[in-house]
Amino acid sequence: MSGIAPILCVQHLGVRYGRIEALRNVSFVQDQRSIVALLGPNGAGKSSLLRAAMGLVPAVSGSVQFAYRDVTKEAPESRAALGIAYVPEGRRVFPGLTARENLDVAAFAPAAERKRRRDRVLALFPALEPQLERRAWQLSGGQQQMLAIGRALMTAPKLLLLDEPSIGLAPVLVEQLFARVASLAVEGTAVLMAEQNTAAALSVAERAIVLRDGRIVADGAAEAIRKRPELELSDLGPG
Amino acid sequence: MSWAQIAIDGLALGAAYALVALGFVLILNAAGAVNFAQGDLVMAGGFAAIALASALPLDALPVPGLVLAPLVALAGGGAGWIVAEVAYRPLRHRPPVAVFIATIAVGIMLQHGANGIFGAAERRTPPLVSGDAVVVGGVTLSLQSLAIVATAAIVILLLHRLLERTQLGRRLRAAAEDPEMARAIGIPVRRLTALAFALGAGLAALAGLLLANVYFVTPTAGLAFMLKAYIAVTIGGWGSLRGAVIGAFLVALFEVAAGRLFSASLADALLYAALLLALLFKPEGLFGEAAGRRA
Amino acid sequence: MSGRARIAAARAAPLSLAAAAAVALLAAGAGAYELRLLAIAGCYALAVLGYQFIFGRVGALSLAQGAFFGLGAYASALLALKLGWDFARSFPAAIALAVALAAVVGATVLRLASHYFALATLAVAELMHILVIEWVSLTGGGNGLPNVPGFVLFGWAVPRGWPVTAFVWAFAALGIALAANYSRSLYGDGARLLRAEPLAAAAAGIDAAGRRLAAFLLSAAFGAAGGALYVHTLGVVSPEAMQFDVMVLILCMAVIGGRNAVAGAIVGALLLVHLPEWFRALEGWRYLAYGAGLLLVIVAAPEGIAGAVEALWRRRLGNTAAPSGRTLVPDAAVPAARAAPFAEDRAILAVQGLAIAFGGNRALAGVTLFVRPGEILGLIGPNGSGKTTLLNLLSGFHRPDAGRIFLDGRDATRDPAWRRARAGIARSFQHGALAGDLTALDNVALAAYGIRARAADVFRLPGRDAKRRRARDAALSALAKAGAAGAAHTMGADLAPAERRRVELARALVAEPRVILLDEPAAGLSDAEKAALRSALREIAARGIAIVVVDHGMPFLIPLASRVVCLDAGRVIAAGAPADVIADPEVRRAYLGAGAVL
Repeated sequence: MSGIAPILCVQHLGVRYGRIEALRNVSFVQDQRSIVALLGPNGAGKSSLLRAAMGLVPAVSGSVQFAYRDVTKEAPESRAALGIAYVPEGRRVFPGLTARENLDVAAFAPAAERKRRRDRVLALFPALEPQLERRAWQLSGGQQQMLAIGRALMTAPKLLLLDEPSIGLAPVLVEQLFARVASLAVEGTAVLMAEQNTAAALSVAERAIVLRDGRIVADGAAEAIRKRPELELSDLGPG
Repeated sequence: MSWAQIAIDGLALGAAYALVALGFVLILNAAGAVNFAQGDLVMAGGFAAIALASALPLDALPVPGLVLAPLVALAGGGAGWIVAEVAYRPLRHRPPVAVFIATIAVGIMLQHGANGIFGAAERRTPPLVSGDAVVVGGVTLSLQSLAIVATAAIVILLLHRLLERTQLGRRLRAAAEDPEMARAIGIPVRRLTALAFALGAGLAALAGLLLANVYFVTPTAGLAFMLKAYIAVTIGGWGSLRGAVIGAFLVALFEVAAGRLFSASLADALLYAALLLALLFKPEGLFGEAAGRRA
Repeated sequence: MSGRARIAAARAAPLSLAAAAAVALLAAGAGAYELRLLAIAGCYALAVLGYQFIFGRVGALSLAQGAFFGLGAYASALLALKLGWDFARSFPAAIALAVALAAVVGATVLRLASHYFALATLAVAELMHILVIEWVSLTGGGNGLPNVPGFVLFGWAVPRGWPVTAFVWAFAALGIALAANYSRSLYGDGARLLRAEPLAAAAAGIDAAGRRLAAFLLSAAFGAAGGALYVHTLGVVSPEAMQFDVMVLILCMAVIGGRNAVAGAIVGALLLVHLPEWFRALEGWRYLAYGAGLLLVIVAAPEGIAGAVEALWRRRLGNTAAPSGRTLVPDAAVPAARAAPFAEDRAILAVQGLAIAFGGNRALAGVTLFVRPGEILGLIGPNGSGKTTLLNLLSGFHRPDAGRIFLDGRDATRDPAWRRARAGIARSFQHGALAGDLTALDNVALAAYGIRARAADVFRLPGRDAKRRRARDAALSALAKAGAAGAAHTMGADLAPAERRRVELARALVAEPRVILLDEPAAGLSDAEKAALRSALREIAARGIAIVVVDHGMPFLIPLASRVVCLDAGRVIAAGAPADVIADPEVRRAYLGAGAVL
């Protein structure tokens, strides 16, 4: 970790669904403009961590700080206004709205600025351009994934939370998508990405955090994490 | 009575019903629950118009009822906002039947409140425009009915523009489709849901003003309006705005046609029987629940 | 009495005593007017008791209860006035008529989604109202008919005053007994699971449509009974008995009194009938007060007065669960069941070319696999590969677009979920689908003989208690096999996640299935709990039951399964011995994507 000011600081975070503890005492810090991969098996707590960062699920203990501002008690709408954006598992584009409307609806800015942001999104995902006037439910899985990320980018975020972006996408699309995600960080948006496809995630992330049963079991440079077999990252581990 | 007059009457009734049904669907999509008080809000709108009319010097005006329209709509909007805070917000995490029952309660209170304040006798609101009839192409048409159609058409057009062409409208639609995701991109879902209730109630109240001159209004009229809106939305497809309008016109046409042949009550009975048959064979209505919504 | 029955009786006691005392108090020293009011309260109590079957227990919002009440009133009155029938004949006839109407309506509209069902019942109610007003020659139209005779039985008239009140409340007491019987039976327990977890109930063999219809018929019978008693108490029949206001009143009584407790019906009826009497100022505004009360209760205390009392009482009594002891069997102690000790080579469950698409999404694109008795089949695949969809198709929650499902050689593709359950397919769910307001023991017991329970359980027929005892015994032994014996008397809502899974497993076992489908049974369990679960599953398979397990944890699944099938994008991409499948390059690619180096 360098000396740059962190964009996200999570301390002793605990999340519970009824009687199930999804996250226990999770702490980490993410720098601005960095890409961090969140790894771990199903049910380890990756989604819960992202949802807690967005405020979609309350924290029973601990705190979440965004750019030095305590957002632990803030509603998702205000966190979005502050600069956090969220792309959920399964994309969840607004099915009845057109692709263009999906993008516009996320931009709280005058029309001119909206167009500028839209153009930037289309530059990143040119495949969306011919789909703009179609209803979102008609788009393919890959197109919806691009739309969902584009929608999040329309809020001009400083931190992008991605939950399993590769699900349901053919491997070649996954490669293209992750290449674009990598460019985002360069342009100023930090990315925290939960992924089951560990190889793809580790190929773009500088750093990786591994969760298991709601706890962090490893946190370090991506290269180092990749080389630790005992983490059973592939889910198909030894035996 | 000429066929043109019957057609215009049917159109007028359908236009008013369309407002009620649209309001119902707006709330349905935004809150995911049935607003059983929608019919009573129509009735309340009619009575609000009567109350306002007695307080204002309207006789001198050429368009007495129309002046009341924005006031009545606003009053309805306020009532809708209250319903959202009292009957929807505390129950939004519970199964939809809880909101259904809470809105039944609101409807009961509206009905018996009106009964207590105005009494059970039937009342009439001032006409939308002064003047009885107009002759068009040799045919005599009621000015009132034409005014109702015109007013409703303008309101529906404005609603359409709001929903399709403004950011607010887009956000309303997004919040209705996926409230959690909408919050995650910064949309103030709670406020927008209350707005949807206000819009829906305002439309109902306005319809009450439109209807209460041609047809009388009594405190117990709410249930029939509720049923007809419910039927219109079922025929047109649950959750479809376009379907609600078309369903409303179909219901009105049926009512006017059957009313010519039988008594008004019998016409209603036939309508309900037709609904039961429709539910038997095609419960998803003409337009169904919008195809492919579950992406 | 069993422990749970004792608890239930203890809970019911204070409120029932209070209700009985209230009735007695009101009756004592009451004049003619008060006695008649009390009788009317009894009529409504019956209607509300009936409403609780469909609205409370099954959870379907019917808006026709007022219409059944009115139908009972008109039927009994007209039979007395026009045909001279005495009450002994008009009463059952009125009930029969209402039940017949409910059968016709119910068979057609109960299968509809809830908002359509409410609408349909409302339409029926309004139709009846209009009918009664328009058919002047029969019903006297808007004015109704006067001079309806009192209760005449075989020539003898029940005298006015307290005999009439006692007569009405005798029927009410009978209704209370029947309703209480229902809620304490396996049949009633099944309704609770149906309300809480409809899919799990179907998978446990409960025929939801049949249950709903039975509840609707019962509600109509009770409603008509109340109406018939009402009209002979009042002496006049008018369209007021058929107005929507009656439905509103019954709804308010049910919600305010407590829609799930028998005592709630009595409390609600007594309260709302007498409130305007006690507060004269309410007279003109009584419905406004009812509406406000309804809103207040539904927001703040949804289980009504009875529910609030019960909650208080439960806090006093405390939780009666015994500490749940777990016997952890270390892995080495139980030999791994690699080969099924059965000569039976034929598949117990086979699936051919199964395909289904939801909207534009092809969830399954042609899956073929089979499971043999005593085999443990592991089902793996990346997220979105179709594993849960496959389980749902096997359970019978959807019909496949193509392909067939064979259970023990028989084509079961068109069987609905509950029939597959009775044919031997059991299912557990990721979140542990139990009814929170039943103990673990009852959750399991209702699947044992609950499958064969009947609506006739409402009437305490001989053999019913024996049936319940047998079910409980079977449940206890199933809980022991699943390693959850200690949690038997804990309420469903209070179980820890690991225990919930085991109780669900017990529920699957108690139905003596031939195939068990498990969806992520090990998620969230500690290593020790996982080991215990593995041995429990091996024991079950050793008895000849086939098990299909979906799980993401390879360390859990690989040592357990005798065979593994891997899905990707709705297709089978590998099948065979566990070690072979996870070494398969196709499988590795599906999980890891291109460029994986491990």
